[in-house]
Amino acid sequence: MLVIKDLVKTYPSGVQALKGVNLELSPGVFGLLGPNGSGKTTLMKIVATLLDPDSGTIEMNGADLINRKDHTREMLGYLPQDFGLYPTLTAWQMLDYLAKLKGVTNRKERHSLVDALLERVNLGAERSQRLGEFSGGMRQRFGIAQALIGEPQLIIVDEPTAGLDPEERLRFHNLLSETANENTVVILSTHIVSDVSNLCTRMAIIRQGKILSACSPRQVVDELKESVWEGTVPREQLSAFKSEFNVISSRTFDGDARVRVISKAQRPHGEFTQATPVLEDYYFDLVNRQN
Amino acid sequence: MSTRFHTSFAAVFTNEVLLSTKRVAPYVLIVLFAANKVLWWAKGPAVGLGWATNSVFNITRDYTGFCFLLGLPIFTGIFMGDPIVRDFRLGVDPLIFSKPIGRAAYILGKFFGNFFVLVVCQSAFAVTAFLLQWVPFSGMVVLPVRVVPFVTHFIIIVVISHLMLGAIYFAAGTLTRNAKVVYVIAASFYPVYVAFELLVMKNLPVVFRVLLDPLGFNTHRLQGMNAWDQTAEFLNAYVVTYDLTAYVNRVSMVVIAAILLFIVYRRFTIAPLNEASHFTGLKLSSAPERLAYAAPSGGFLDSGTYELTERDRIPLPQVTSTRSTFSKLLAALETEFRLLRAERSLLVLVVLVILLSIVNLPPYRMVPEVSYSVMFATNTANTLFVLLTGLIVFYTGETLHRERELKVEPIVWSTPVSNSVLLLSKYLAMVSLTLVLVLVVSLIAIGSQLLRGHTLEISAYVIVHGVLLVPGILFMTAFVVALNVLLRNKYVAYVIAVGTGAGLVYLYNLGYTHWLYNPLLYRIWTYPDLTTRPMLMKRLFCLGLTAVCLGLAHLFFERKTR
Repeated sequence: MLVIKDLVKTYPSGVQALKGVNLELSPGVFGLLGPNGSGKTTLMKIVATLLDPDSGTIEMNGADLINRKDHTREMLGYLPQDFGLYPTLTAWQMLDYLAKLKGVTNRKERHSLVDALLERVNLGAERSQRLGEFSGGMRQRFGIAQALIGEPQLIIVDEPTAGLDPEERLRFHNLLSETANENTVVILSTHIVSDVSNLCTRMAIIRQGKILSACSPRQVVDELKESVWEGTVPREQLSAFKSEFNVISSRTFDGDARVRVISKAQRPHGEFTQATPVLEDYYFDLVNRQN
Repeated sequence: MSTRFHTSFAAVFTNEVLLSTKRVAPYVLIVLFAANKVLWWAKGPAVGLGWATNSVFNITRDYTGFCFLLGLPIFTGIFMGDPIVRDFRLGVDPLIFSKPIGRAAYILGKFFGNFFVLVVCQSAFAVTAFLLQWVPFSGMVVLPVRVVPFVTHFIIIVVISHLMLGAIYFAAGTLTRNAKVVYVIAASFYPVYVAFELLVMKNLPVVFRVLLDPLGFNTHRLQGMNAWDQTAEFLNAYVVTYDLTAYVNRVSMVVIAAILLFIVYRRFTIAPLNEASHFTGLKLSSAPERLAYAAPSGGFLDSGTYELTERDRIPLPQVTSTRSTFSKLLAALETEFRLLRAERSLLVLVVLVILLSIVNLPPYRMVPEVSYSVMFATNTANTLFVLLTGLIVFYTGETLHRERELKVEPIVWSTPVSNSVLLLSKYLAMVSLTLVLVLVVSLIAIGSQLLRGHTLEISAYVIVHGVLLVPGILFMTAFVVALNVLLRNKYVAYVIAVGTGAGLVYLYNLGYTHWLYNPLLYRIWTYPDLTTRPMLMKRLFCLGLTAVCLGLAHLFFERKTR
């Protein structure tokens, strides 16, 4: 169990990135959902020991992660949002290097581990290729491989599916689901709602450094059943419509506004039809209520 | 020229100036140059010899020294080699080149924007000299206040010389898109220039010396007279003039700069270079401001719908994590060597070091004071000190900041490896590299001695290189490591390191050479001293400083372990 308590972080520029974050994460894949600048990456960096908070604590099974960084790094697998690689090393050489830093000293065991990891992320054939020649997707897969070294108990993946094609994205979902067992906490930070729907048993929505909600994706979507409506409104009437109903999204279509509305009590308009609720509906409803 | 050119040129120019105002390096340079001018003014030979500090002779003399000393040619490299490479490194290039900007406007805006900032920094020296005319100083001769000589000679001696040098660095950096190539050229400037003066210029008639000198050293000499033989009255009244040959020299420097800029204009391309793959920086698309509707998210994944393939079932071996720091250090060291080996510029520099060391071996006719081996070892040690200082300053900075620039830092820093391993691997890699160079140059000197039929004394090499070079290398590398860790900016570290070195050399040349602030023992050793007890103390002091520098680096390393 990973417990985050009262985490506060203000950058020297004065930007308050985290304003007292509290979370409890049990083993499994936990989704952290939020727009850019919401504090996701700051939170990820603090948990990954790369940034110190101003105050607050993080504990994993009772062990202090902030003040015992060496211990934390031994059980950590981290895939940053934006990372680079040594361009002149081959994939095998760099993964071997990172495995050594991780403490895999047994040569035979390490080589076997590196080979297996490269195979897992579908880079077995490119093991001798220089990393400088890798495409964006290949680098991302390499990043995933290095995060899995040493069977980490805490895996942090920050925007992991960016740059992956649909097939690789699905493979990554599968890999992550497999990795998350009864002993492993996986934190998936993302802005892609479908990644959270597909992978996470629990999730939190973070915005402007605050946790707006910590919940189960399936449960919150279930709660919206028979409350989401979709229909078309003339563009000139959109403002008036918005003031009357809880419009969660609108887009222009064929000259009119196509809107999505949450309304539990009544059908907003005669031509509106009931829509299948999705996680985005919950998110925007939450944000609208906060605003 | 069209209005569009003017607008684009002005935009690029002002943006470069704006960017420079947000860097620390120009301000450091301004302080360094102004402080040095005060030092030269108060402690230079003018006071003792009765030279008027604002005489034209003294002004040109100071400008000539300034043009060459204080590491100015290296600073020019730092300023002028990077402007266009920076755009590609930061990934700004697509944003710029997708706009209707002409190649000439872009290149010239970049060049002159940075050159303007460089000249502003250089002018701190001239402005300080100008202002010091009003400062009273006991025993100092000051002529009536003057303005024009400060400006004209500054332009003729300093600005034009560095215009040409700046164009060389700019062309090298832009066409290779590799800042390290510029560093190599900058680091090799002094040895190449000194070798050129000693081996080529020295033997030429005066007219060719004036014509070919890139820094204009000979353009305003006292018509063959030695300044030290002249009276102060004569020098104070002397009017420095430039003859036709001198003007041809200065004009040709401007023409060379123009030709280089034209070559850059012709050869510049925005397409990725073949070498680009050696500089990776993963640029994933950053997340949008809102949540993404990348795929339907209403349904939830049924794990059973994805059939596991063979490779998904490959078991990962159980990892037994040990705390063996030594094995991690070896792994990090091995990787550092791999990365250094891939540095093409370093290979060029290694060859250059070897060639210059051969060039600087004593000539055949020279008679040794102690023995040939001592003379050869001393000569190679002196040459190596200069070359290795440049190599250590630039490559240690590159090595220490590599992870950040390549964005590998979050991956490496999140592994359970101690800070001492990360720092020591870089330190030891640089030390090993320089020691290998010392060994190679020693072997070349030994080979040269054998070819000349000298009696060989290996002990002379062991003593000179072992007692002088090795502790010096250990200290210099540790100092640069500490500087980079403390300042967290490699460019500021370059400026401080080179500025400190230049300032110390100037002090040493004035006679302030005490070993307490001269850990490299510049000009205060003789061969017999090297095996004495006091020398042992001095070397232990140097090693002590090394330990202090490494301790500071460890203490202030940005990555926290607790």
